[in-house]
Amino acid sequence: MNFFLNLTAGLSVALQPLNLLYCFIGVFLGTLIGVLPGIGPAGAMSILLPLTFKMPATTAIIMLAGIYYGAMYGGSTTSILVNIPGEAASVVTCLDGHQMALQGRAGPALGIAAFGSFIAGTLGIVGLQVLSPPLVSIALRFGPPEYFSLMVLGLVILTFLAQKSMIKALLLAGFGILLGIVGLDTITGKPRFTLGIPKFMDGIGLIPLIMGLLGISEVFLNVEKTFHRQVVNTPISHLLPSLQDWVQSKWAIVRGSLIGFFLGILPGGGAILASFVSYALEKRFSKTPERFGRGAIEGVAAPESANNSAASGAFIPLLTLGIPSNVLMAILIGALMIHGISPGPMLLKEHPDLFWGVIASMYVGNIMLLALNLPLIGLWVQLLRIPQAILFPLVLLFCVIGSYSENYSLVDVAMMLFFGAVGYFMRKFDYEPAPLVLAFVLGPIMETALRQSMIISEGSVTIFLSRPISAGCLIIAAVLFLTSFIPSLQQKRKLVVEEGEETR
Amino acid sequence: MNADRLTAMIWFAIGLWAISSSISLGLGTTREPGPGFFPILAGTFISLMAIIIFVQSLKKREDKKLSDFWKGLRWKKTLAIGLIMIGYILTFEWLGFPISTFLFLLILLKGMESVAWRKVLLISIISTGFSYLLLSISLESTLPKGIFGF
Repeated sequence: MNFFLNLTAGLSVALQPLNLLYCFIGVFLGTLIGVLPGIGPAGAMSILLPLTFKMPATTAIIMLAGIYYGAMYGGSTTSILVNIPGEAASVVTCLDGHQMALQGRAGPALGIAAFGSFIAGTLGIVGLQVLSPPLVSIALRFGPPEYFSLMVLGLVILTFLAQKSMIKALLLAGFGILLGIVGLDTITGKPRFTLGIPKFMDGIGLIPLIMGLLGISEVFLNVEKTFHRQVVNTPISHLLPSLQDWVQSKWAIVRGSLIGFFLGILPGGGAILASFVSYALEKRFSKTPERFGRGAIEGVAAPESANNSAASGAFIPLLTLGIPSNVLMAILIGALMIHGISPGPMLLKEHPDLFWGVIASMYVGNIMLLALNLPLIGLWVQLLRIPQAILFPLVLLFCVIGSYSENYSLVDVAMMLFFGAVGYFMRKFDYEPAPLVLAFVLGPIMETALRQSMIISEGSVTIFLSRPISAGCLIIAAVLFLTSFIPSLQQKRKLVVEEGEETR
Repeated sequence: MNADRLTAMIWFAIGLWAISSSISLGLGTTREPGPGFFPILAGTFISLMAIIIFVQSLKKREDKKLSDFWKGLRWKKTLAIGLIMIGYILTFEWLGFPISTFLFLLILLKGMESVAWRKVLLISIISTGFSYLLLSISLESTLPKGIFGF
């Protein structure tokens, strides 16, 4: 019964005209940036963050969330038609999606991607709605030691899944924590690591950091390559998958939804991982694995379903614990805090309208996305024909405006450019920036949890090991950490991570 | 110079700097951790990882030189775009938002890529106008007017 009570309560918020409008703007922009390679949901959400300052908090979160799951829909279009992922969670969709397009089956590929996304997205939201309340009651019993250990685990999982070297990813997590500390110490008020620059007293801004490391560096790396985008030129017809297509992909959609949802909940997991794992699994389950990579429709259905249900699952740690499981959720935390709402287990009790309103808006947003991505697919295809030469100056302009408009400070713009250069060199030398960004957000929360734990335990480190949840998290983290030093296991980790990536 | 070895040394230096700064900030006690307590853990961790990367790079046989990372790439273009962005930031307040933004797009579209003049002007004017409206109306912000007064 509660399920429907909560749903109607949420819908009464989500269906208010203002919220409907911003939900639409969110999913529309999400699809747009999903389609356009070179700018991901993280960049788009940071650019729009300042725009939400004057909105009600619920409306702001509804729009930002829409960008996130909307991008998961849009990303597949570019993967299928151009063979370049529109955003990172659609990398594997290229493998079979583009093959299907070359064989003149772009329509069913786009269709199954949209339907799979819709089904999985909706299932994911049901899971989110059902699992959140019981998890909140567990989370309420979490103390500082549990929080600290859980965040350690989240960071280790994220680095474990890094596609390049885990040691490098761990190092960057450490560096991210250090960058997060810059500014005034919250307890003693002492300035830390400010290099004597007054602006650094307030800390380093999340928006310049994200836009620089993820946005600008991407442009820098792309402009030095000479590549041609070739949009598949066959007419797109038969968007509705045939009965045979459905039969072939129904289990892929179900499995993709489940895998995606649970990997989405995992701290450090998320849509990118979910799409890789579901593709690899589908290939292993298949009676005809040789079809994969040659235009198998399951190869499109599984990862596209997985990345959407993962996007829903990722909201669970955010809404119940107040811990972001990935960079995008970190931006949402930032948005909540700007509106004076502290994310955490009290969110459900203190702001039920926001909690249920956002969840209900995701049902609505998924229906909007289905409409945007099937009948209006032609619009997005036209967009793909915009040449790179025109696109990249506009991306740079958006980044400048986004980082400037938060505080109207050129220092922030300069900072973004600096992190753009840092990100460029980091990526050149195989250092992936994602762990750095997540650690940057988690760093200050971790420090507070650590200091509080030490005060509670009167200086004894055993507090982290004597409490079962905390100890469990730390043990798993330690096991994962140690595997990075065992060469034979290192090989296996590489295999798991690269499985989906092999033919990229 | 092996790239991993070079980056490892840079990270090691950053780690050491973090450790020494943390010590001067004050570590406190485990009962009452001071402002340097958490950063010294991060600094130590960075240094340790840097040492591991350095050692691992000694074992590797393939020696990828720094210049190999830019081989066959148009790195001058990246550098030029970076410099153009610095120029944009420096002239942002002096020339004002509309003019500096228009010039920024014009230089990128015409100087970096050979887009046709008509398109260049169209895109530059529309994007500048749109972003000006977005910022000044919806955010009610005060954009720098610059020496020309608009």
